[in-house]
Parts: sequence; structure tokens; C-alpha cells
Amino acid sequence: MSIPTIRKQKIVKNHWKIRLILFGILAVLLILTALFSEQLCPYDPYLQNLANAKAAPSADHIFGTDRYGRDMLSRVIAGSRTSIFSSLILVAVITIFGTVVGVFCGWKGGWVDSLIMRISDIFLAFPGLVFALAAAAVLGGGIQNAMLALAAISWPKYARIARGQTMAQKEATYIQAARLSGCNTGQIIRRHILPNIAGAILVTAMLDIGTMLMELAGLSFLGLGAKPPAAEWGSMMSDTRNLLATHPWVPFAPGIAIFVSVTVFNLLGEAVRDWLDPHSER
Amino acid sequence: MRRKHILAGIMAAALAIGMLGGCGSSSSDAKNTESSTAAAEKDTATSGTKKLVIGDTTFNPENAEADVNPHNDYSGWACIRYGIGETLVHYSDAMEIEPWLAKSWENVDELTWKLTIQDGVTFSSGRTMDAEAVKQCLEHLLENHDRAPLDLKIASMEADGQVLTIHTSEPRPALLNYLGDPYACIIDVDAGFDNGIVAGTGPYIAVDCESGDHLTLVKNENYWNGTPKIDELTIRTISDGSTLANALLSGEIQAAYGMAYESYPLFQNDNYTISQIATSRAFFCWMNYDSPLASDPAVRKAIAMGIDKENFVDVLLEGNGYAAQGAFPEGFAFGGDQVTTESYDPEGAKAVLEEAGWTDSDGDGIREKNGEKLTIRWLTYPSRQELPLLAEAVQATLKDIGMDVEVNSTADHNTIVKDRTAWDVYASAQVACPTGDPEYFFTVCCLDSSTKNKGNFHSDTLEELEQQMAVEFDTGKRAELAVQMQQAILDDNGYVFCSFLKMSQISQANVIGYTAHASDYYQVTAELDIE
Repeated sequence: MSIPTIRKQKIVKNHWKIRLILFGILAVLLILTALFSEQLCPYDPYLQNLANAKAAPSADHIFGTDRYGRDMLSRVIAGSRTSIFSSLILVAVITIFGTVVGVFCGWKGGWVDSLIMRISDIFLAFPGLVFALAAAAVLGGGIQNAMLALAAISWPKYARIARGQTMAQKEATYIQAARLSGCNTGQIIRRHILPNIAGAILVTAMLDIGTMLMELAGLSFLGLGAKPPAAEWGSMMSDTRNLLATHPWVPFAPGIAIFVSVTVFNLLGEAVRDWLDPHSER
Repeated sequence: MRRKHILAGIMAAALAIGMLGGCGSSSSDAKNTESSTAAAEKDTATSGTKKLVIGDTTFNPENAEADVNPHNDYSGWACIRYGIGETLVHYSDAMEIEPWLAKSWENVDELTWKLTIQDGVTFSSGRTMDAEAVKQCLEHLLENHDRAPLDLKIASMEADGQVLTIHTSEPRPALLNYLGDPYACIIDVDAGFDNGIVAGTGPYIAVDCESGDHLTLVKNENYWNGTPKIDELTIRTISDGSTLANALLSGEIQAAYGMAYESYPLFQNDNYTISQIATSRAFFCWMNYDSPLASDPAVRKAIAMGIDKENFVDVLLEGNGYAAQGAFPEGFAFGGDQVTTESYDPEGAKAVLEEAGWTDSDGDGIREKNGEKLTIRWLTYPSRQELPLLAEAVQATLKDIGMDVEVNSTADHNTIVKDRTAWDVYASAQVACPTGDPEYFFTVCCLDSSTKNKGNFHSDTLEELEQQMAVEFDTGKRAELAVQMQQAILDDNGYVFCSFLKMSQISQANVIGYTAHASDYYQVTAELDIE
């Protein structure tokens, strides 16, 4: 291998490391903001002050105020808890559930596998947002029901990945060796299968955080997620879209929050993928 | 890979430019208007036809206007608004009745009215309008409409040429006022009701109606009272306020009804005309007397004291209305501050709740009584753009007094409101005095016999006063009774009136004759034109 090639590989390797660290820090900052949102809000995000309605951005109100005179910065910070935590919880739930189902199917095989995979096919066949809309409409509005609706259509992806990876690993010689050395099924799955399939699932989950954030915000925008006066970025954008042309800072604040968060989580997901994926150019 | 990046860059740039172009519509509205005007002129020049599209937030089942059949719920509003049907009497700007399809009338005795019908009027079906056709139409109305029989109390009718004699079962002093209600649009019932389309006598003829989507009209070449100018008129249902504003800015529609007040600054320039008039359309709350919470007088009183009407009008309606005391605004002999009601008083509201045993024992800011949280289910709907704003403003002010408000703003409110277990307070926007006479509001909304007594309100005093009102022909005494009747419903806080609206119609500057009327009815007339 020539010296320039080695140097180039080193630079690329460092590049993904820098991205991982940078976006990791930004993601942690976002999560900390969500965690300590109550302490970070400069004003009560729900306190109406009609005398100061639709005030333009100023030193007192960096993002201005909405039509009820509520401080937009405080509402965006308060909204981070609903928006970011809901997405993280949703991704955690579908990842765990999908992985358990996928590993079970991949390991067990037979008619059980076929049955569960056909069920997952049914869920996969639904157009995502349409199904979420229908489910949220049947279950009623609210962020929990929107999360349930999205969870119902999102778990099969993880089940498919986990199943495929498990089936591939199941036939590997090291698994046969583990069997011969007396490991039971639980031990094999816990000690050998899961660690070997975790990378692919983790990358998928990381890339899904941004997607789920967008989808939850989308459902809230359509009125099927968070309800007023809850501070949630999607519903805040929906409530204030009438003001886009006359008082653009009002919808701008939650819009930029969604944009920044989705970008950070997506880029972090890509950095994690580059880190874990043996086929990527690192 | 490099090529992919370049392609992605080009696509992103195109998207950004597209979005900026869309966002910039407000600054380039003049240009848009010019281009759409130019397009309309070109259309007129090339095809010789004048076309106009009006966007409307309320022509939909959500507002009980599923079609243009006046005998179907509130669809008569669409029938009269869009110039399809006309009534026997017309309301002036002062909401006084004047001749229209009836050129004169006579009150023969307390139970008999003689109306002389206009000559030379034909329905769009081709049939000549005579007293027999009017009689036939009113009979169909009485058989099919829920409110009309109770309002009109017609026992029998006789038709003789152009003279229609109406006998009522009991004295009906306000009969003629009721005959101006949109449900009394005179239509040719023999022409049928296919797809909710009817044959009226108005300047425009409905040719296509898709409920909640659009209505297509063509001009009535044989119109009796002028010459309609628009060859093809389309009413497009656009229930979302921001979509309506963007449609008018882009020139997709040339006129709009129901625009959100906060979008007005976009149209306050030379490119648009805003026609505005004070009306008796009120934002008001109905208390549900079947609900354990709203049936508590202390809770109702606290709600009435917890609504900041002045700020709602000044800030959220942007001054396009008036804070309300009772059911009728200033300008009516029975309106304005002749009645007394609760004013915004958070401390007083807290004291009322405290005295009634509603206390915050767990310190979460919401009061409880016998283990039940004071959580009010507030039902409303979004097509009147400011109703959700009222709900959210009330949510905050009532929270201050220890009341939690769960808002359900839904287009399906007409179904939900019928289930009295599903809501505590219902906020709606309704014209309180659409006939110019005060009795209408009480007979429709507040009496035991009312078809729209949504909250099951009952007051012995009100029932007694209505018995007097029903037979009182003297307008001065009717006004006095109306004041007392309002006071009866206000004393019980069965209804809380928040504001009256200035209704507006906005059009491009080249649209002529698109003028708001105090009744909120006559939107499309023969005067409507586009240059």
C-alpha cells in the first residue's frame, strides 16, 4: 500500500471520528436541553400576555412572542422535551420490540416465523403516514396515540433486519462451537447473536431518530399529535402558520428547532454508521 | 459519486429557490394580482366569458351547509349567499324588512297575512313564480325542515294568482321576518333536489355541487331584477385560513369569505378591497346542563367571570369586533348594554369556586370537589378561524382560576355536540339576529321546544316571557321583552356571549360589487362583476 493511500485513509478515518464527536456533543446538548427545559426557559412557556402579542424578536424575547404573547424561545425549549423525548422513546420501543421479534423469528424459523413475517408484511404494506393518520384518528388525538400509531408501522423494519442477521449468524461455525460447548439458546442469543447484530440495528435506530422526530411533528402539524396549549414543535408550526407572511418569526422558531434537531440526529446516525459499518470508506 | 453530489446540490438549490419564491408571495402580491388579473382579462378576451372564483371557509357540512337546498338544515345560507335563491322579504342594512319576491303584504288579522308576489319572475327551471309555486315551496319547507315549522306556525295557505294568503295557528308577529330567513328561499320544488341543487329565482344558477369542495354557477339570463355579469362563478370551499389567504394572494381565487383576521395585513393595500360591516354574528358559549360540571351554577358563573372578552377582541380579533354583553349588539333596540352580565374578574371567579367547595387540595393548580377535578371539556370547530383562538385564550385565563380546559376543536362538532356526555362547554359562531327580530335566537336556541337547544337549557322565566313575545305585535314591547329574555339566560349563565364580529369579504381590486351585508347573507348579487 502506497504512503499517500495510507494517509488518505487516515484523514477519512479522522473525518468520521470528528463528525461522531461533534454531532455526538450536539445531540447530547439537545437531549440535555430537553432534560432541563424547565430550568432553561427564560419565561413560563404557557404564560399568556396578550398585551405583548406577536412582538418581534428583541433582547427580551430572542425569538419574539406568539399571538398570545408567549415567549417563543421558552416554548421552543419546552417543546424540545415533548418532541425529542417522544422520538427517543419511540425509537427505543420499536428497536427493542422489533429486535426481539426478529431474533425470535430468525432463530425459531418454521411456521411461527412465516406467520409473524406475514403480519409484519401487512404493516409494511400500509403507507406509513396514512396508517398513522387512521390509527391516530381511531385512537384519538394526543402525542401518546401518535407514538402508538408510528410504533405500529415502524417495528417491522427492525424485525426484518434482526431476523435476517440472526439467520445468517445462526449457521456460523462459532455458534455451532458455542452449542457444542454446552451453551443454551438464551446464552447463545445473549452472548453471541445480539452483540453481532447490534451494529446494524443501532445504525438503523440512530438514523430513525430524525425520521421519527419529523413524523411526530407531522402528525402534530395535522392536529393528531400534541394538543394546544402543549408546546410541541409540529403543533406550534401548525398553530402559527397563518402568521408566516405577517409575523414570520413565530413559525420560524419551531421550524428551525425541527431543522436543527433532525439534521443533528441524521448526521450523528451517519457518523455512527461510518464507524460501525465495515464496508464504509473508513 | 461526485456527479451525484452535484445533482443533489442542484436539486437542493432548486428546492430552496422554490420555497423562497413561495414565502415571498406576500411581497410580490401586487405582481400576482396583476398576473391573475391579466389571466382573467385574457380569458375574457379570448373566450368572451367572465369567470370568478370565490373561496369560502364555511360552505361545508362542518357548518351544516352540505349543499344549496334551503330545506336542508342551514344549506339555505349557501342558497341565498351565492345568488341562487331569494326570499319573499329582504333585509336592509339596518336589518329591517323590505319587499323582495313579495312586493307588498298586509296583516289582515292576528292570524292572517296576505302577500302579493312579484310579477314576471321565473325560476331557473323556466317555471313562472306565482302564489301557487310559493305555497308549494313553503309546504315542502314545513314538511322537511326542523326549525321552520316552529318558527312559522303556518296552519294553511291559499294561492290565488299572485296573492298568497297565510293563516297561522297562533299569532306570529314576526312571520315576515322569519320568511326572510334563508330556509325560506323560494324554489321550484317540482324541479327537484338532485345532488342538493335547486332551481331558484336568483341571478345565478347552480349547475354542479360537490359537498365540502366546490359549487359551480352560471348566470341566470332571465333574471328579473338586474343583469348578472359573471358567466361562470365558482365557490371553492377552503376551510383552512392560511390556505385561503395564499389562494387569494396567488390569484387562484379572486375573492374570499371567512379570512382569518390575522391575515388582513396582507390585503390592506391597493390591490385588494376589504368590505366590512358590523353584524350580530356572535362568538358565544353554550353550557351543557346535562354535564355534572357545567350544571353547577358556580362553575358556570366562574367561567363567565374567567373570560377576558376585551383582550380577546382587541388582540385575537385584532379589533374586528366588539365585546358582547348579551345576545344582541349595539344598534338593535334590544341590544348592547341594556343587559348586565359577569365581567372579567379572576379573583371574583376564584371566590365563587371556593365558596362552592371547589378547592385545590393537591396543589397542582386545578381545583377539585369530592375527588373530581375541575376539568372542562371545551368543544369548538376550526372553520371560524378565531374559535380555536378563543378556546386557547380561555384555557389560559380559566387555568388562572384553577380550572383545566381540554379543547376539542373539530370539524365533526355537529355530531359530537348532540352527545351531551361528550362536552361541557360548546363555543360557536352564530348570527344571533338573522331575521332582524329578537325572538329567533330564543326560539331556536334556548327554549324547551327549540331544535338547537344544544345544552338542554331551561328557564321557567324565559318560557313565560316567550309566551308573551309570541303574541306581541308592538315592536317596542317586543324589544323590552327581548331584553328581559336575555337577562334571564344571562342571570343563569346558561350562555356566555364573548364578542360580535365585523364580517368581511375580501376581493381583488378589480372585483366589483362583492359587498358585506349586515345579515351576512347576500354575498353574490347581480351587481357582482370583475373588470
